[in-house]
Amino acid sequence: MRTFCILFQKELRSFFLSPLAWIVMALFTFLNGWLFASMVNAMRLRVSARSLVYNLFDSGWFWMAFFILFPLITMRLFAEERKMGTIEGLLTAPVRTAEVVLAKYLATVVVYLIIVVPVFSFFPLFQWITGEQAAFQSGALWGSALGLVLIGMLNVAIGTLASALTANQLIAAMLTFVFVMLHYFLGFMERFGLVTGSTWSDTLSYFSTIEHMHSLSEGLIDSRPVVYYVSFCAVLLSLTHHILESRKWRA
Amino acid sequence: MIEVSNLTKRYAGRTAVDSISFEVDKGEIVGFLGPNGAGKSTTLRMLTCFLSASEGTARVAGFDIYEDSIEVRKQVGYMPENVPLYPDMRVIEYLTFRARLKGLRHREAKRAVAEAMDICSLAERERSIIATLSKGYKQRVGLADALVNKPDLLILDEPTNGLDPNQIRQSRELIKRLGDRHTILISTHILSEVEMTCGRVVIIDRGKIRASDTPQNLIRRLRKPGEVILEVKGGGESARDRIEEVEGVDEVRESGHHGSWVTYAIRTAPHIDVREDLFRLVQESGWTIRELASRTASLEDAFVDLVRKGEASSGEKEATPEEAPPEDEES
Repeated sequence: MRTFCILFQKELRSFFLSPLAWIVMALFTFLNGWLFASMVNAMRLRVSARSLVYNLFDSGWFWMAFFILFPLITMRLFAEERKMGTIEGLLTAPVRTAEVVLAKYLATVVVYLIIVVPVFSFFPLFQWITGEQAAFQSGALWGSALGLVLIGMLNVAIGTLASALTANQLIAAMLTFVFVMLHYFLGFMERFGLVTGSTWSDTLSYFSTIEHMHSLSEGLIDSRPVVYYVSFCAVLLSLTHHILESRKWRA
Repeated sequence: MIEVSNLTKRYAGRTAVDSISFEVDKGEIVGFLGPNGAGKSTTLRMLTCFLSASEGTARVAGFDIYEDSIEVRKQVGYMPENVPLYPDMRVIEYLTFRARLKGLRHREAKRAVAEAMDICSLAERERSIIATLSKGYKQRVGLADALVNKPDLLILDEPTNGLDPNQIRQSRELIKRLGDRHTILISTHILSEVEMTCGRVVIIDRGKIRASDTPQNLIRRLRKPGEVILEVKGGGESARDRIEEVEGVDEVRESGHHGSWVTYAIRTAPHIDVREDLFRLVQESGWTIRELASRTASLEDAFVDLVRKGEASSGEKEATPEEAPPEDEES
């Protein structure tokens, strides 16, 4: 636990020592601020049956930024250490591989949360400025916050695994990008007519991020997505652990 | 301190380390010597639990490298080849992080870092960002990292690689001083370094141990013919024959002329000193002498000889796999 804390602190610090974290944070907030403003504008022009919270998280634009965000914050985790050789010092110190994986993973999840928190401040901020009572319902807001935490956990785990697979940060980023995007589009297979038949579309809707977000941003908390995200994370992290351990035995 | 038995590492289609065994006792400074690609780094990485062995095992400070990997890593201060460091961190931050990672508490870590920086003369650069340091300073940061938790054993992989001659001398002094407190295993292919710092040498080549002895013994064991250089004036035509008549001289060759000075390269049987007899000959013949020197074999000769023998024997091995290893490997 002590070792974990030391590694966790170091990871978190090294994020904010590099300009990357700050740039990503600023651009992400700007992009979503702009999106939020457009959404409000759109709802002023057209009557919508859905809430602002639902509409924002339903928008494809919102998720676009995520496809880039995850590769950016996870690509360096292990790939950089392997490229620079610092992994040798790290793993010859008296630390367990599991501690290293968890410290890097959780530090990145925290970075992710720091990056997305401003998005949530938009709703109360909007209400405070306009005095508009219908800006959000707290259930919807907390539901979608839970959704973002879960999605972040899963996608950071994907990025962690990709980064452990290669010493090349760009390859790690590409792998994460493709996987995050594919996972997101699983929910659209039916809409695009790529799968037919109710068995398939029912199965796929279990994996569909956008379906999960729909129910969560209406304030409806279903335990199935929670179990799905958390267990998928566990699988990905244990794979990462195995890959790092197997490196010892390989050429 | 280190007991290696039949340690083997196989990579796909290639055996990097082939069933090696050696020991390092407490307090020794041992040089781990070999040409590039001989398996030095692979061996050190197995000893520090960065790589797993394909076969065999090793005990470091009494702990097995499989069973008690974490304990082994606590006992060893390891400086990897090329000294990888985190470039964004400051020297003091990095060393404190490493000290804490190696199990030191806050206060202890602070004191240990100050001490390590003192030993490695880093104090004036403690606030520098590692990326801005010169190669020599980076090397010292790596060394400070290795010794920050005062491990009994230091394993240094090519610690003087890429340094300038002055820095090499400094780090050699430093390693010698560290030998008072730590057992040191140091890998290198710079022979003069080993000759000066190490009490014992383990020579590895193509994954096999070729020799393990003191540098002096290695040189002595090298049955290389002796060579004496003699430069005289006034010897004339018959000088060569007269030198050849001296007892112990095998062969005489004129190796150079400077005006009326003639230089002779004289080969003798191994470990026979003919200089006294030569001087008497010069005196009796009334020649003028300006150089009489015996060229002694160096560790370099011993090393080249061992590696070459290894090459020859591995060539034979391909033809007849049952062939016993050359007798030189023992004793």
